[in-house]
Amino acid sequence: MSTLWSDLVTYADPLMEGLWVSLQLTFMTLGLGLPGGLVLAIAAASRSRAIGMVATTLVELGRGTPVLVLLLLVYNGIPLTLPAFVAAFIALAISTAAYSSEIIRGGLQAVPEDEVEAGQALGMSRAHVLRDVIVPQGLRIAMPPLVGFCIIMFQATSLAYVIAVRELTAQAKSIANETFHYFNLFLLAGALYAALSISASVLNQRAEKRLNRHA
Amino acid sequence: MTNLGTGNPAIRLENVEKSFGDHVVLQNVSLSVGAGQVFALIGPSGAGKSTLLRCINLLERPTSGSITVDGVTIQTDHTIKPKELAALRSRVGMVFQSFNLFPHMTVLRNIALPQQRVLGRSRADAEDRAHALLGRVGLADKASQYPARCSGGQQQRIAIARALALDPKVMLFDEPTSALDPELGLEVLTVMRELADEGMTMVVVTHEMQFARDVSDHLVVMSDGGILEEGDPHDIFSGPRHARTRQFLRAVVDRQ
Repeated sequence: MSTLWSDLVTYADPLMEGLWVSLQLTFMTLGLGLPGGLVLAIAAASRSRAIGMVATTLVELGRGTPVLVLLLLVYNGIPLTLPAFVAAFIALAISTAAYSSEIIRGGLQAVPEDEVEAGQALGMSRAHVLRDVIVPQGLRIAMPPLVGFCIIMFQATSLAYVIAVRELTAQAKSIANETFHYFNLFLLAGALYAALSISASVLNQRAEKRLNRHA
Repeated sequence: MTNLGTGNPAIRLENVEKSFGDHVVLQNVSLSVGAGQVFALIGPSGAGKSTLLRCINLLERPTSGSITVDGVTIQTDHTIKPKELAALRSRVGMVFQSFNLFPHMTVLRNIALPQQRVLGRSRADAEDRAHALLGRVGLADKASQYPARCSGGQQQRIAIARALALDPKVMLFDEPTSALDPELGLEVLTVMRELADEGMTMVVVTHEMQFARDVSDHLVVMSDGGILEEGDPHDIFSGPRHARTRQFLRAVVDRQ
């Protein structure tokens, strides 16, 4: 126990640097992936069969491919040499877009048809009904599972360790390689992931209550 | 089927038919509503009243027939262009049984937003108009509330204000008081009566027989997807020509 404490004190700086990289990777992934998921969800419900098929195919491919494979594919597979961080963020964003589009689609479909009809009867165009009625409410409905999914993606950034992104897991591993304190370092890394994930879940539950005020 | 409208009718339906697969919901319905007239549509459940009403603004797409509102005619048996649809719907306001306000917007935004989107009014103009209409339906103090904080009767009056804000030529009401207890329903009927007095052309599907008799100036009795009889409400209430009408009126008027 005393060595766990001393490891924490000694390696706090490199671990926090790793955590910061993990968080940056998470936010960039979500920043590209979630809007991508919204676009795919809307496209999958398109009246044009061609657009719907393309979107559905992209979603199924994205969900069907393991994130680890996507990471290796973008980093090593394509002829373009990208910095590890950029490759990780693209691969994780593809996966995020595919998975979140299904969650968002569920939310959009849960918006009562009555309200869509009200919009139509008022003479609003399809695009306006989508933008002003369906999307804001659908996203609200999808918010709790969506935040849960974002927490999973935060944890999935640890996979970027295999393409040498210096995020939290990679930092823990590299310190452990020098000190052989594998147990301590991975325990500390795990505790940091858990601390952030659990805090985010608690905030999510509070936000959910607030969002339901006007339902 | 007599045409009681004078001059150019505000709404004219010609040979409107609607079927879902083999099931015929409306057969060969023709109707003509004069400007300023208040039509009440009554009849048993499943008669096709709501379907007929929803065909007027094409929420329900008729299988065949033509629909004319304020000079805009749509032949329903071929593709309807978005422009035609927009022209038709801009002339028709609709009020639903379940109000269908947008729950994520304040009362004010519910009324202002469609004006901005459909008529291109500025936000300030649209909100001025919304405030004025809220005052007119007696809900000036509700502007910043969300719909869920309003009673059913208040929500329905807000829905009426939302429709009126777009300056429709005709207003359709689909059982506007059926989801309300009698007292709250009365608030809504009062607003509708005022609207009728101001000369708005209205078509009302209703089970409120008193409104049908006293406020409407033309009664249409429907049954099994067709018009059974139509004419002056007092005449039909006192002397229905059709046995089916008599049976229906006995059930709704002479209730114990």
